[in-house]
Formats: sequence, C-alpha cells, structure tokens
Amino acid sequence: MSKFRKATLAAAALTVSTLVLAGCAPSAGPAGADGDDSTITVWGWRQEDAKTYDKIFTAFEDAHPGVTVEYVPYLNTEYDTILSTGLKDASGPDVAQLRSYGLLQPLVESGDLVALDDEVADLADFSPSVLDGARGVSDGAVYGVPFAIQTLHVIYNKAVFDELGIEEPTTWDEMISAFDEIKASGITPLVNTVTDTWMLPIEQEIFGAGTYGATPYLEKMLDGEASFTDAPWVDSVDAWTSTRAYWGDAYQGTSYEDAQALFTSGKAAAFPGGIWELANFRKANPDLELGIFNAPAPDGSGVPVPGYVDGSFGVSNASDNKDAALELVQWMATADFGQAFTDELAQISPVPGVTPSDPLLAEAVDAYAAEPSPYITYAYFSGGTPGAWDLASSSFSSLILDEIDAAAAAGKIQQGIDQWFTPRS
Amino acid sequence: MMRTRARGRYSPEHVSFGWIALFSGPALVLYTVLVIVPIFTAFVYGLFTWKGTTPDAFVGLGNYVELFTRYPVNEQLGSALWHNVLFFVGTMAIQNTIGLGLAVLLHRTRRGKRVFQTLYSTPYLLSPLIVGYLWAMLLSPTFGPINEALRAVGLDALALPWLGQPSTALPVLILINAWQWIGGPLLIFGAALGGIPAELEEAGQLDGASSWRLFWAVRFPMIMPAVGVITVLTFIGCFNIFDLVYALGGSNGGPSGSMDVLGLLYYRLAFDGGTNAIGDSSAMAVLMFILVFGVAIALERLLRRREA
Repeated sequence: MSKFRKATLAAAALTVSTLVLAGCAPSAGPAGADGDDSTITVWGWRQEDAKTYDKIFTAFEDAHPGVTVEYVPYLNTEYDTILSTGLKDASGPDVAQLRSYGLLQPLVESGDLVALDDEVADLADFSPSVLDGARGVSDGAVYGVPFAIQTLHVIYNKAVFDELGIEEPTTWDEMISAFDEIKASGITPLVNTVTDTWMLPIEQEIFGAGTYGATPYLEKMLDGEASFTDAPWVDSVDAWTSTRAYWGDAYQGTSYEDAQALFTSGKAAAFPGGIWELANFRKANPDLELGIFNAPAPDGSGVPVPGYVDGSFGVSNASDNKDAALELVQWMATADFGQAFTDELAQISPVPGVTPSDPLLAEAVDAYAAEPSPYITYAYFSGGTPGAWDLASSSFSSLILDEIDAAAAAGKIQQGIDQWFTPRS
Repeated sequence: MMRTRARGRYSPEHVSFGWIALFSGPALVLYTVLVIVPIFTAFVYGLFTWKGTTPDAFVGLGNYVELFTRYPVNEQLGSALWHNVLFFVGTMAIQNTIGLGLAVLLHRTRRGKRVFQTLYSTPYLLSPLIVGYLWAMLLSPTFGPINEALRAVGLDALALPWLGQPSTALPVLILINAWQWIGGPLLIFGAALGGIPAELEEAGQLDGASSWRLFWAVRFPMIMPAVGVITVLTFIGCFNIFDLVYALGGSNGGPSGSMDVLGLLYYRLAFDGGTNAIGDSSAMAVLMFILVFGVAIALERLLRRREA
C-alpha cells in the first residue's frame, strides 16, 4: 500500500513539474524586449537590413541624447504571426514595420495600432495614393508612415539590346518588334515566372496597365462604375497573354528562380518584375548592365508605371513608450530619414523630395512620378476575403495553361470580390 | 495466482496503478498540453469570428457555413479533397504495391538484403521540403537534368514542364512522394514476411504451389495485419500532406491548383486569410481532424474485422 502511495505521489509531482515547465514556455519574453524607457524597440521583417537600420537610426539617436533605437528583425515568413501577438503587449515593439493594404487590415481591426493622422503632421505632404498603403479600410485613418515604394517594370539586359541595335521601345508595336528581333537571334525575349503564381498579377499589371487605363479606371472601379469583367480590364489580360510567344520553350514550368537565373545568365533578354529585383540581379551577376522600361499603351495614350507601397512604420497601442515612438515615426516622415533610407538600402523612399542616388532607381522614381499607375489587384481589392490578388494569382494560373480564357479569369476575380466589396459612396 | 507470482513481481497483471501513472503521466501531460488542448482550442476558436487576433462575435457554425458557401473556398474545398483522395489511391497503388513487391524479392534473397533495405530507406532521412526542392530542380524545364537527358536520347517530345502542367503535376507528386517513403512499406512488409512460420511456406511448397500461388494463399493472408497498418498510416499521411506539395508547387497548389490539397487550403486560410483568418482556419482544422480521425478509425475497424 505504501509503495502504491509513493508511486502515486511521485507521479503527481512529475505531472505538476511538467505542467509548470510547459506553462513556462509561451510566456518567455521575445528577444529585444525590455522595459527601459529610453529604448525604442522597432520590430521588422528585414533581417538582411538590420545593420543598415541601426546605422540609419544613429542620426535620430544623435538628435535625441539618451534615446536608443533598436531594430529587432524576425524571420520574414513568420513576422506577421509574431507581430500580431507582440502588439498585444508592452514587452512587444514600440514601433513596428507594417505590411501594406490588405495585409495591414487584421492589425487595424484588432485595434493594436495608433492612428497617425493627427500625430504625424508631415503625412499631409505624402500623396494620397501612397497613404492608401497604410490606411485602415474600415475607418480611412492612416496607421503607418510609408517607408518604401516598389515600382514594376520590364527589366532588360542592355548588352543584348545594344548588340542587336534595339532602343528602349516607346510604343507597343516597337516593343513587339523588338521582341521579334531578339527571338530571331536565338535568345528568349521575355522570361515570365509562371509556376510561382504570385508573380502573375505583377506581369499582368506591367503589360496591361496601358490597356485598361491605369488610375482613372481604378477610380471608376472604386465607385462601382467599372469592374474586372468589363472590356478594358479583360482586354488588358489579353494584352499580357499576347506576349506569350516570347516567353520561351516550356514556359509553363518556369519558376521564379528559373526566370531569375535565365535572365542573369543572359539566356533571356528581359524580365518583367519589381524594382527590388535590381539588387538580386546585380548580386547574381555583377557584370550585368541593366535597364528598365515600361510597356507603352497599345493605343499610344501613354506609358503607365505601376507602383505600390511596400510597407510602413506604425506605433503599437500597447507601447509604454508611446511619446518617444511617435517622435521616431514623425522623424521617419522627414527627408532626413527618407534620404538615408534610399541611399543605404537602395530602395525607393515615398517621402516627398527624396531622390535616390542610384541612377536606375532615380529613373524608376521619375517614371513613376510622371505616370503613376496602381497595382489594382494587390492594393485596392485585397481588404476583404477573398482578396483580388489571391483570386488573380490562381485564375491567371489557369489562364496561362489555357484552361480558361481572359473573360473567365476576370469573372472568377469579380465573383470573389463581389462577396464583400462595396463601392465607395 | 501461483503462476503469475512465479513470473516475478512485474508481471503485467500485477503492476499497480501508481507505477502506471508514474511512467505514463509525463507523456500524458505532454500529449494533453501539445495535442488535446490545441485541438480543443481550435474547436472553440472556430466558433467565433475574429478581428485579427481578437475574438469578435460568437457565430456557432458560421465559419463552417462560410467554408462551404464562400467563393472560391467552397470550390477549392471540393477539389482539394478530391486531390487528397487521388493522392491516397495513387500512393496505395504505387508506393505500397511496389514496396510489397520489393519486400517479397528481398525476403527471398540472402545477399545484399541489408544494403538494399538501407538504400531504399535513405530518402527517409531527408526533410520533405528538401526532397521537394531537389525534385523541382531535377524536373525544371530550363535547367533540369531530367529533361536534358530526355532530349539527349532523342525523346524531345517527353521533355515536358512536368510540374508546370496540370495533367502531369499530381502524378509526378505521387511518384516523388513514393520515392521518398517507399522504405516504410518495404521494412514493415519485410518484417511481416519474416514473421511467417517457415513450416507454412514449406507445406505450401511440398503441395506443389507456384510462388505466385504461395504468395496469395499463404504469405498475403499472413501479412494482412501489416497491410492494415500501412493502409491506415498511408491514409493519415496522404490526408495531412503539406510540406512536399508546398515545396513542389507553392501555397496555391501548383499549376492551376492541380496539386491543391486540404493542407495547403488550411495554410492559405490561416496565413493569407485576412481579418477572420483564425476563425476560418480553425474551422478548417477541425473539419480535417474529423475527416482524418473518423476515416482512420473506420479503416482500422474494417481491416481488423477482415483479419479476424
């Protein structure tokens, strides 16, 4: 009997200690969290940029003696989950790097962020379309200071164009005959990513913006006067897929990495994609001479340049150091931060009056400023579930494989967003 | 009484409850904290709509109704389930049949048995993610050595974007998965075959049975328990598959969603799901649990009855 008792007690003790151990694990604080009020903790997803951010923040620290700004990077793919928990707690970030558009909405809905409209005066100078990237859809308030703009272009290999005596095309027909010439020379003219479906809406935007009519058409869509299924947008999808003749053999199997490798190895002459590729391409092949152009509208109406906000910096409602945090994001809306950001990180800053030192980036900024065009599926119809970007990614995949046509693909996107989208009044 | 006592104090009938609790307690606690509690939590979470990480309103089965009515999830649910079924059937037909065939061949050989068992089981050591990326590279239409080899021997017509077209993506997935896991059925069937009493096989041979007849009349009925175990494990594996498909085709399930499975659909609901992601994905997780748990139990019962 006593043996039985002992064993039961031992079991109970073990059970309790295991419970305690298990209970401990989740409450262990995240890295970089501390209660020191002179430290502003900034969370972000750019592990590769952590050192550069620390360098950029030095200017702020110098102007605010006693204040330390600490950039705490998390794994990109896990950041959203970590952040949504971290914003609940004072041990989380004071300032957080926020995703844009649809991906921002869950945090706004949870009430985790401070509305900045009345807190950051310089936001008034930002263009409204840039602020859209940091706006809560439900209340229209701005919840972050946008830090980067991505623009979309056809990135090309200058050596190939020069060798064949091809100039940057200024009309749609010039672009097509350039592709024809490159194809005749045995090089793949235009390598499109197909299997990584998130790239498909980007490619459609690059080749279709001039056909559906860029921002004016977006305005009509937001007012409920136009839709994805109307002729201009369906035609814009066809305009994009009409370039398939130049995508190379067995393009159905081309992955993002394949496309990048084909381009940087010189086997393909052009790559439709985001301006962020410049860094990847230069790293993969430092000898590559790069150029950018945008697909001109087939009707000659212009050369729209699609772009969108990549993210913003917002302030946590749970921060116990809110005043300092607000001061930091106020500084992030100034040219001091914007210039340092673009110079150090080679990205486009949305802060008014900032010019990148990199000539290609500067070219992208000028082109975007001259004829800005929205990234419709990603930026404007992704605030509900299902988002247009996900719908477009999957329906374009079926379209490229000839399972459905452009009208059917557009129909799938419209059917999805009709479930939640209400035109603005 | 006398007999059990003679066997020693640790005979199974005489282990006290205290000892059982002592040894199984820690595992039970971990199992409860890490398995039972999350399942229960998911069930509760699935009954609410969420605003980000904050529960918003109690909706009962509302999230489940959403899954079956909201486009495109309602369509994806059906096609993903169908792909899981095809994946299971294909895996049973290819992986487990070939695994059984190899086990029989190895059972009859003396030399090299260990070597082959080890070779066939080696892919077990790799993460499915690595296997996925490896095969995606091998099958790449632009750089992949498989298509280059096909072209080199004049089979240009067979140099296809294997993972890029809907007609070949799922079959290729089944083959790659079988390549990785064939060591499982091979070893389990091998052990089962080794456990058949030699006198039964000898009796069959004496009666003049062909090796084909010997297999179906003697060996196969004797390894039925192993067949049952493999079937249930394959079912659970096939309906919970995520990593390999993700590595081969991304979170949207490959070309035109032709490799989309329930695991990927869950992933998209949870991580690309918008404001009510927790509500939607918890409901989806509960549905998957009910499906896999329910069918696994039913399969177990069915196969037990057939063994008896």
